Amino acid sequence: MKVTCPSCGLVGKVMFDRLFDASAKVVEIHDLTKAFGKFTAVDSLNLTIFKGEIYGLLGPNGSGKTTIIKMLCGLLRPTAGSAKIFGHPIPYKSIMNQIGYMPQDTAIYLDNTVHENLLFFGGIYGMPKNQLEKKEREMLAFVNLKDWRDSLVSTLSGGMKHRLSLACSLIHEPTLVFLDEPTVGVDPELRATFWGYFESLAQKGITVIITTHYMDEADHCTRVGLLRQGHLIADGRPGELKEKTRTRSLEEAFLFLTGRKQS
Amino acid sequence: MRLRRTLAFSRRALLQFRHDRRTFAFVLIMPLLMILIFGYTFGGDVKGITVEVMNQDAGLTPGSSLLLPDGLFLAKEVTQNLDENVLSLHINTNSEDGRQIVHEGKAWAMIVFPANFTQKFLASIMTPDTIPSPKIEIYLDGSNPTIVAAILKEVTKSVQTTLRELSASLNISEVDMPIAIEQIYAYGGDQTRFIDYFAPGVISFAIMMVTTMITIILFVNERRNGTLQRLLVSPASESEIVVGYALAFAVIGVIQSIVVLVAAILFFGITIVGNIFLALVVILLLAFGHQGLGILLSAGAKNELQAIQFIPLILFPSILLAGLFWPIESIPSYLQPLSYLIPLRYGIDAERSIMLRGWGVGEIWVDIGILVLFAVLTLSASVLLLKRRN
Repeated sequence: MKVTCPSCGLVGKVMFDRLFDASAKVVEIHDLTKAFGKFTAVDSLNLTIFKGEIYGLLGPNGSGKTTIIKMLCGLLRPTAGSAKIFGHPIPYKSIMNQIGYMPQDTAIYLDNTVHENLLFFGGIYGMPKNQLEKKEREMLAFVNLKDWRDSLVSTLSGGMKHRLSLACSLIHEPTLVFLDEPTVGVDPELRATFWGYFESLAQKGITVIITTHYMDEADHCTRVGLLRQGHLIADGRPGELKEKTRTRSLEEAFLFLTGRKQS
Repeated sequence: MRLRRTLAFSRRALLQFRHDRRTFAFVLIMPLLMILIFGYTFGGDVKGITVEVMNQDAGLTPGSSLLLPDGLFLAKEVTQNLDENVLSLHINTNSEDGRQIVHEGKAWAMIVFPANFTQKFLASIMTPDTIPSPKIEIYLDGSNPTIVAAILKEVTKSVQTTLRELSASLNISEVDMPIAIEQIYAYGGDQTRFIDYFAPGVISFAIMMVTTMITIILFVNERRNGTLQRLLVSPASESEIVVGYALAFAVIGVIQSIVVLVAAILFFGITIVGNIFLALVVILLLAFGHQGLGILLSAGAKNELQAIQFIPLILFPSILLAGLFWPIESIPSYLQPLSYLIPLRYGIDAERSIMLRGWGVGEIWVDIGILVLFAVLTLSASVLLLKRRN
C-alpha cells in the first residue's frame, strides 16, 4: 500500500506522527544546568515532555545526553535549574515506582539467571509474588527470552543481555522510561526489534525518553531534541525539523543547524 | 524500610553465590584450609624433643635411711615422670660428652642430676634452713624459645609429680617440700592446645577476610556494571540495599562458622565451653562491620584488580596486630596500642572468651559494644556513601 507520510512527505515510507497527550506534562525541565568543574555538560536546558511521547535526545558523544538522563533519574545533582516529573520536583522517592531506567551499561547480574534477574528487579519495586510471576512471563515473551529463563546471564549473547536489560527496566510496569543509548553496539536487526518494542510501549501510553547518536533512528521519535555541547539547538517533530532546515534527513538537519552544512 | 524489597537484595546475592561456585568454595575452603594447615603444622605443641639425660645421682640404697627404708633414687623417679611424648629421652651414661651432644645440635638439651641429688634433697627436708635444696642442671640450646619453654615446662611438671608422690610415702605435707608449685587452672588447663586457642581466632579471621573481600568485589562490580545505578533509580532506599546485603552475609557467615567449627571438632576435637549462639552473634557483628568497611573501601577501587590490592592492607594488620597467632602481649609495647584500632582484635578476644573460658555477655560486653559501634559506624557511613550524589 502506498502511503504518504504526513510529517516528511515521503511516499512509500510509513512514518506517522504518533498521537500524544499534550495536556499531560510528564517531564518539565527549567534552566537545568550541570557543570563538572569548569566544564558545563548541560547548559540551561528547558524542555517539556508529554505523556505517550517517544522523545529522542539526539547528539554526538559528549553533548550532554546521558547527563540529562542521570539528572532526571536522580543520579546526578543539577548545578542549577530544576526539573519536575509527574509534577513533583525531583529527586522524589515516591515517583520512582513509575520510572524505568536502562543505563548505558548492560546493568544486569552476570552470575544470576535470567529468571533471577527479572525476579530481583521486580522485587526491589516491592512487587508481590503472583503479580511478579505473571509479569515475568509477559516480559520473557516480549523480549523473546522464554527459552533462556534459567540460563546464567554470563552465558548469553550480547544481544540477549541487551534484551534482558530492557526487560529488567520494564518489569515493574513503569509509565515513564529512560533509555540511555539502548541501541549502541547493537546489530541492525536487534535495533529494528528494539524500536518495535519502544513503539509498542508508546502505544500503551508509556512515555519513553531515549538518547542516541544514530540520527536515522530519530525518525521513529515523536519529537527530538538536538543537543550540541550541552545546548539544546533544536526541538520538534522530526518532520518539522527537516522542513525548517529544508533537509532530507535529521543528520543533514543537525549539520545544517550546527552551521557545518548549507541546505 | 520495606522487608520485601530488602529481602530481594539478600535473595539475589545468595543465589549468585549458588551459581558462582568458585567464590562459594573460597568462602568455605579458605578457613578450612587455614585451620587444617595451621592445626596440623603450626600446632604449637612440640613433640619428640631430643634430650640427653645424665644421671649421676648415687641415690639412697634400701635400708640406709630410717625415713625411707625402701631406699630412694630421686633422679630416676623424676626421669620416669618426664612425658616421653614431648621429650625423646636418651639416657647418657658417659659423663664427658653430654654437653658436646648439645653443642653439635644432636640434642636440644641435657639434663644433669648431680651425684648427691637424693641425699641433698633429704637433707634439705630435714633442715630446710641450713641446707639448700638440690639443683637439676639443664644445659640448653636456647636458639628456639618454644622448645626451651617446652623442656622447662616438662621438667617442672615432672618434679612436681615426683614430689607429690613422695609426699605420700614420706608422710609429710607438700607444703614442707623444697619445691612446690601447684598449678590450678581457672580456664582450660594442661590439655589446652594451640589449636583450641587458634580455632576461635581463625573463625573470626575468616569471616573478616571473606566479608570484606567479597563486599569490595560485589560493590566494585555493582558500580562498574551499572546495576548500582539501576538500584539507586528504584524506590529501594540505600539502607535497604545495605541491610539486604547484610542479611545475605549473615547467612553466609553462619554457614561458614558452622563448617569451620564442625571441622575443628571432627579433626582436632576442640573443646567449646561457652555458648555457641553467643559465639555466632559475635561472628555476625564482625561480618556486619566488615561489610560496611568493604562498601566504603569499594569506593576507592575502579575494578577488581584494584580491589585485590586492598588485601595486604587488611590482611597484615589483622594477622600481626589482632592476636590471631600470638598473644597481643607478645607485640612490642609501643605497637600494642595499634591493636586497639583493629576491630578483629575484639572479635578474636570475644570468641576466645566464649569458647575457652565460657564467658557470657556480662564479661565480654566491652568487646561486643565495640563491635556493635564498629558495625553501626561503617554501615551508616556506607549508606551515606551510597546516598552521595555529584
